[in-house]
Amino acid sequence: MAQAVEKVATSPKEHDALISGSEAIAVACKLADVDVITAYPIRPYDTVMQYVAKLVSNGELDCEYIVAESEHSQFEIVKHASAAGARVFCGSSGVGWMYAFEALTVTPALRIPMVAMVGNRALDDPGAFGVEHNDALAVRDLGWQLVWVDNAQEALDTALIAYRVAEDRRVFLPCAIACDGAFLTHSQSQVKIPPQEWVKRFLPPYNRGDLLLHPDNPITVAPQVNEDWLMEIRKHNDEAMKRSKTVIREAYAEFAKIFGRDYGNPFFEEYQTQDADVVLVGMGTLSMPVKVAIRRMRAEGKKVGFVRIRWFRPFVAEELAATLGRFKAVGIIDRDFSFGSPYTSGVLATEVRAALYPAEKRPPVLAFICGLGGREVTVPDVQRMSEMLLRAAAGERQPLTTWVGIRE
Amino acid sequence: MKQVFTRPASLAETPMHYCPGCTHGVAHRLVAEVLDELGLRGRTIGVASVGCSVFAYNYFNLDFQQAAHGRAPAVATGIKRVLPDRVVFTYQGDGDLAAIGTAEIVHAANRGENITVIFINNAVYGMTGGQMAPTTLPGMRTTTTPYGRDVRVTGYPIHVAEMLATLKGVAYISRVALCGVAHITKAKRAIRKAFQAQLDGKGFSLVEILSTCPVTWGLQPIDAVRWLEANMLPVFPLGEFVTDGQKERA
Ligand SMILES: Cc1ncc(C[n+]2csc(CCOP(=O)(O)OP(=O)(O)O)c2C)c(N)n1
Ligand code: SF4
Repeated sequence: MAQAVEKVATSPKEHDALISGSEAIAVACKLADVDVITAYPIRPYDTVMQYVAKLVSNGELDCEYIVAESEHSQFEIVKHASAAGARVFCGSSGVGWMYAFEALTVTPALRIPMVAMVGNRALDDPGAFGVEHNDALAVRDLGWQLVWVDNAQEALDTALIAYRVAEDRRVFLPCAIACDGAFLTHSQSQVKIPPQEWVKRFLPPYNRGDLLLHPDNPITVAPQVNEDWLMEIRKHNDEAMKRSKTVIREAYAEFAKIFGRDYGNPFFEEYQTQDADVVLVGMGTLSMPVKVAIRRMRAEGKKVGFVRIRWFRPFVAEELAATLGRFKAVGIIDRDFSFGSPYTSGVLATEVRAALYPAEKRPPVLAFICGLGGREVTVPDVQRMSEMLLRAAAGERQPLTTWVGIRE
Repeated sequence: MKQVFTRPASLAETPMHYCPGCTHGVAHRLVAEVLDELGLRGRTIGVASVGCSVFAYNYFNLDFQQAAHGRAPAVATGIKRVLPDRVVFTYQGDGDLAAIGTAEIVHAANRGENITVIFINNAVYGMTGGQMAPTTLPGMRTTTTPYGRDVRVTGYPIHVAEMLATLKGVAYISRVALCGVAHITKAKRAIRKAFQAQLDGKGFSLVEILSTCPVTWGLQPIDAVRWLEANMLPVFPLGEFVTDGQKERA
């Protein structure tokens, strides 16, 4: 049975804590003073719900906490709590996220600024629970903002930023924070926990304005629409998603001012790219082996860099294309798959290729599928991908898509 | 020499992965013994659910289909309708059956699907780490109710057997417990009746089996059995809720 629960200190100063990525998200919920949280267990997301349960039980987080009977209800409950004016949090993983899909599809159109965590997990075929990105990516076309983080600190910070962006009236779209299962959700690291006061300054109260479901404001949420209005609703979502880029930039700038942590370009991180001949591009925790491999290759004089994409939606196509145009070859590592897609590669590779098409400079793009089902992306894997890129940069023809780290 | 104890032919020789003292193994054995005794091994198809018993297909020496979380009664329906001469059973936990699978179990029972359901009620979600399930007892500590289940905010334990017993499609429903030899003997008898109802074409049958989850309960195996007896029996009364069968009740 559950043991004594340690308290998350609430000090007026920033303090350090050794916590996992999941715990960091739960701490962010507390700092953001979320009003309604729902849960249904599924690994690896369930570590968040357990931590939230402790915070609530300890009286450290005053919120409605509902363990629903399935993910579908879990998301429906928070959606409509949000429509009624509550700040909400929800999350799931893999097939749990897919089980909620009907609820997820209608969230952006209803302009519900929910923040959700996806503990990335394979889609259970058969029974797998290691990390893959296809679960979160499944909402990429629907109006969800989608961001990948690669460490617990970034998970906490991004969750706070996500509330600010999602609840900005110029945006009012849900935001999913993708955290690699096990590698991030379950591994602990030192995290700076900001004082509540800073968060209050950063995050204005949630205000639904004229969209509030309230007897004083008679409206119908989610009325039946067809050819009469649906196109306009889609267009509203489209415009909101475009505006989100600006709001994200503002939020990171403000975050840096208040919290003293500056993430630079919010949309993607560049690592050793300044003089790089070739770069790898990827999302999430594979950044760790990639960075280690790059340091080793650099010692051998091989100029390899890395671009880690954070925000997948909105996708900053022009900016990314301009950046990637600086290199002689670009390799995209997908921790996902898209069977039958162009050049039978992954989702990220397809998007990056599309982003590069109108660009002035279009380096050769190699796609790699790696680390599926929770398989580790190893340093030798990264070295192999980099060698292929260096050969492509030297003008040697390379296969357009390669599965790396797979039994021959 | 007379052999007095042997592995039922319906159980495979695979060592089970269940935690020490977990009664999933006992429930498996009882089902296997009944299938042996009724001579059903060659024509039985099991449906494994999502939960600790997901690997049931490795432990039963039978044909098996693995179902998505909560979907086992729908999966079993599909199989049974096409292969009506086979004996089809699902093996489901309380998270699987009484939470995400509530719709499937209610409607399979209501349609009177001629299948048998072995329902393991251990009052928690075992596989995912001991969170509160719909069957968790009032005041019981779980990883999501660290100070005990407060029924005012989280609701009450669901009585699946009694709830399904109200439906006309049901042929046999009982609740048994795996605490002590006498109870285990009764449990086996109930499982036998449930399969017999299916063999007789009477409709839906279910045995709810009160079980232990010593690891997430934080108890030693023997203490877990005692805890079940002392705490679960008062909340979940044992007995047969439907015995007369769908055909007679229609
Ligand atoms: C759609 C979906 N949601 C959540 C899960 C995660 N999950 C795996 S096992 C399980 C609970 C199993 O608990 P129970 O049915 O009580 O069986 P036990 O493990 O206790 O035997 C859950 C929620 C899943 N696999 N699929
Ligand atoms: S977690 Fe509980 S139900 Fe699962 S095998 Fe262990 S004791 Fe059995």
